[in-house]
Amino acid sequence: MSAQIPISTFKPYRGEKARLARAYDYLILVLALFLFIGSFHLHFALTVGDWDFWVDWKDRQWWPLVTPLIGITFPAAVQAVLWDKFRLPLGATLCVAALLIGTWVTRVFAYHYWNYFPINMVLPATMIPGALVLDTLLMLTNSLTITSIFGGAAFALLFYPTNWPIFGMFHQPVEVANSQLTIADLFGFQYIRTGMPEYLRIIERGTLRTYGQYATPLSAFCSALLCSLMYPLWWHIGKWFADTRYLSKI
Amino acid sequence: MATTTEHVSLSTENPKSLPWYLIDLPKYLKGFGVLTVIYVSLRLYQGAFAIEHGLDSSEPAFEQYWMRLFYIELVIIAAVASGFWGYLWLSRDRQLDQLAPKEEIRRYFTLTMWISIYTFAVYWAGSYFAEQDNSWHQVAIRDTPFTANHIIEFYFNFPLYVILGGCAWLYARTRLPLYAKGISLPLTLAVFGPFMILVSVGFNEWGHTFWFREEFFAAPIHWGFVIGVWFALGVGGILLQGVTRLIELLDKIEDAE
Repeated sequence: MSAQIPISTFKPYRGEKARLARAYDYLILVLALFLFIGSFHLHFALTVGDWDFWVDWKDRQWWPLVTPLIGITFPAAVQAVLWDKFRLPLGATLCVAALLIGTWVTRVFAYHYWNYFPINMVLPATMIPGALVLDTLLMLTNSLTITSIFGGAAFALLFYPTNWPIFGMFHQPVEVANSQLTIADLFGFQYIRTGMPEYLRIIERGTLRTYGQYATPLSAFCSALLCSLMYPLWWHIGKWFADTRYLSKI
Repeated sequence: MATTTEHVSLSTENPKSLPWYLIDLPKYLKGFGVLTVIYVSLRLYQGAFAIEHGLDSSEPAFEQYWMRLFYIELVIIAAVASGFWGYLWLSRDRQLDQLAPKEEIRRYFTLTMWISIYTFAVYWAGSYFAEQDNSWHQVAIRDTPFTANHIIEFYFNFPLYVILGGCAWLYARTRLPLYAKGISLPLTLAVFGPFMILVSVGFNEWGHTFWFREEFFAAPIHWGFVIGVWFALGVGGILLQGVTRLIELLDKIEDAE
């Protein structure tokens, strides 16, 4: 048994039916807001995690790779339903905005007001510009292939430059105890984290420094390739979860 | 929020000028209010007593301030689960074949409110208190699976959203014909998937017995929670099922100005 929308019944509602439909829309909006804050935030916190929590984790090698790669998942899955079934070109922006609301509330009340981490140390990254491009491209092209290739790539490539105005200042060099650090490093050394000591920090591994200024673009283009693959994968995961079957037993 | 077919005439006469399809709106808003008070109160309790009495589980004060809260939570969770689930089941509609279209539409609205309350609880459990766990474990040494944040997050927030998800599932199963005839796959996924997050607590805490200090949040030991929350995407299927049925039902009723 599967739900089928009877196409012949599509006609504008008037009067009470229109008000009823509008009331249902508002109920769904509230439901969706909390759903995506709760679910996308948990998914994001336990996969991107420390790269988004801490300013000294926002490096040139892992942060621009991991964040868009994980960040494109829910937007793709939600677009698969909202665009395909309802022609609403806002799935990605809705998810990313919900995520930002969730992370900001937590950074302020859980990190800053409870445990006194400076808010500058725990600023969340933004993916809003990439999400806007993803939604716009899907709306204009109505093509999963084009949105995967160009939208997925744009989502990854836009991440670092659009976050640079927020985090660039923390990459300024400072000299401390005869060592050159960034201000972000200094935050990490000054505010002791018992669960995440500095020696566990996963940043700039291997021979990255021999690549000099090319490290970030390389990470971003690697992320662009992976996002182009991740996008259609999660589009299909979203479609799979949006199944409308009724089963006889579970 | 339960109404049986026998009560249809009562539910469609709304004395407080709310439209008939929104008759359960006051209960819905009260649900949001009650949950907000509970979650904010728990956060204020953490702010008042976590640093002072929640850093060392071997201290007598820890038993007094935190383990006592844990035992109280268990009692509340057991009472809420048996109360809500028992009520929804015992007050089920036994004459669903006689359900009028207007009453069925109203029940779809009420089901949406139940799912909305469920997602509000998912917000507090999956967003706020979940990431707060990372913050707390940066200032406390983990010497117990019952930390000042776990006692609220794992043993209250997780069971509470499971209960509310179960309420939504039971409401649909006992009051809406399509959900009574067959088991909705997306509703079941959206309720039972996040339920597996509660089960993942065991795997998570077992893992932490090997490295009790480090709390690398993106570590694979936490990915059980991640897979569980993907199933919340089943809400897209619930929405499609609901909209499809509402279109059919709206065609059966006369429009009013």
